[in-house]
Amino acid sequence: MKTGFNFAYLDEATKRMIRRKILKAVCIPGYQCPFGGREMPLAYGWGTGGMQVTASIIGKQDILKVIDQGADDTTNAVSIKNFFKRVCNIMTTDRTTEASLIQTRHRIPETTLNKDQIIVYQVPQPEPLRKLEPKEKETRKLHAYKEYALMHVKLYEEISQFGSVIKTWAYPVETNNRYITDPTPIPKFDNPKMNNMEALQLFGAGREKRIYAIPPYTKVKSLDFDDHPFEIQTWDECCSICGSTKSYLDEIIINNEGKKNFICSDTDFCKSNLEKNK
Amino acid sequence: MNIKKIMHVENLTHFYGNQIGCKGINFDLYKGEILGIVGESGSGKSTLLKCLSGEISPSAGKINISLDQGGVKDFLSLPEQEKRQLMRSMWGIVHQNPRDGLNLRISAGGNIAERLLNVSEKNYSFLRNTGKYWMEKTEMDSDRIDEFPLSFSGGMQQRLQISKILSSNPQIVFMDEPTGGLDVSVQAKILDTIKSIVRDINVTMIIVTHDLAVVRFLTDKLLVMKDGIVVETGLTDRVLDDPQHSYTQLLTSSILQV
Ligand SMILES: Nc1ncnc2c1ncn2[C@@H]1O[C@H](COP(=O)(O)OP(=O)(O)OP(=O)(O)O)[C@@H](O)[C@H]1O
Ligand SMILES: [Mg+2]
Ligand SMILES: [Zn+2]
Repeated sequence: MKTGFNFAYLDEATKRMIRRKILKAVCIPGYQCPFGGREMPLAYGWGTGGMQVTASIIGKQDILKVIDQGADDTTNAVSIKNFFKRVCNIMTTDRTTEASLIQTRHRIPETTLNKDQIIVYQVPQPEPLRKLEPKEKETRKLHAYKEYALMHVKLYEEISQFGSVIKTWAYPVETNNRYITDPTPIPKFDNPKMNNMEALQLFGAGREKRIYAIPPYTKVKSLDFDDHPFEIQTWDECCSICGSTKSYLDEIIINNEGKKNFICSDTDFCKSNLEKNK
Repeated sequence: MNIKKIMHVENLTHFYGNQIGCKGINFDLYKGEILGIVGESGSGKSTLLKCLSGEISPSAGKINISLDQGGVKDFLSLPEQEKRQLMRSMWGIVHQNPRDGLNLRISAGGNIAERLLNVSEKNYSFLRNTGKYWMEKTEMDSDRIDEFPLSFSGGMQQRLQISKILSSNPQIVFMDEPTGGLDVSVQAKILDTIKSIVRDINVTMIIVTHDLAVVRFLTDKLLVMKDGIVVETGLTDRVLDDPQHSYTQLLTSSILQV
């Protein structure tokens, strides 16, 4: 381990403060707890909130996986992984099944997470009501009094204009029959994975300095209408690498004529699936 | 006959610093009744209505309300959450300027849906049909349900605001000069609409106006205000035909001259 850094970069007092906020967040599922965020050696928008949460809970035994849009090998994922390797001297992995701690941006792994794992989401905007109500003082009241009509009005408007709800990512959920929560910009395809998940789900917003949590086995419901039920994305195609028909697919253009191909966005899942089918 | 008292007001008083807003107001409001508040500019009509509808906290006095469920409550000491909930569904304020009561960023139907969503189940067709129903009821073209408030004329915006408020089947509706900012010909038509609806759905209403024709046409009971106090009160026809207070006499004679 390099000298000059405390384990996991943050000092112990800061980690303790963040852990206390995490405990509070776990006690009030979906409620956004303000916390005294610290500067991380990374600009806002690059996962500083998630990193502070990870830094506060990571231990020497942990095996860390970091993904960005489902991939382990993107620049952002690799640099966060290297950072923790350097300041914690811990093991990292690409394998979802091997990881005890997963930090993610924009996806939930396809492989079902288990009770020995924790997933930490990077959160760009924690407030699901922000676009509908710009004033922070008012959104706090809306949450406190459970006045969520506006949220459904948004869905109403989309159905009226387009025939169905067109929001495909950061699709709002209701946590534990109480707080409306922003699931971060994951595709709505991933929303059902949040429901009753065995793993602890933690959310860190660096710029907005908020932490929220969904404890294991918590009900998470995507907002909808009785007569327009929530639906996830589907594809006619399967993954052109592993043949999966069950995973979230990215569309890629593979030649100058604009021919399209579909591949799993979760690179670890794709690899494992390919090996399994060999 | 046993008509339910839904509001009891006692010694209601509001000062803006040293300036009297309204003072020593007493009245009872019964279910299905339409109460008019008249008086010259600055007489305290809006102040009284704002105290009654929870927009401002009066300096003194008492307001007891009787809800459909929950028995008699002391309105002024209700927690903020309950007051807000009341305003969002069981009570409704129709503002003089429709833009104060409408969300301009959402469609006509969305505005009505927002109010319904505070009380109803989450069913799109229900919101849609109820929205259209109320637009038609207020004589709007329900084909325009997906248009935004700013694409409507002032009169239509006011009709939309009324649709929105009435759609949740409120117990009490408060209106402060609901046609104040509109052309006279439009005013008359909207008042006609209001009249036919309120009789139809038997809503309880408190309406502020300084138009005695509106009062005659719409209200059952009347409070006449001057300088912040109520100078005369009674059944509308009685007050207008046989005014007792000199100010009311002046007021009623001036309308006759018009
Ligand atoms: N926010 C305020 N601050 C100070 N004084 C106020 C305020 N609002 C109203 N007043 C004063 O209180 C008195 C009653 O005003 P109010 O607006 O209730 O009268 P009104 O009968 O509604 O008049 P109008 O017919 O012009 O609407 C007036 O003297 C007015 O100047
Ligand atoms: Mg006024
Ligand atoms: Zn694949």
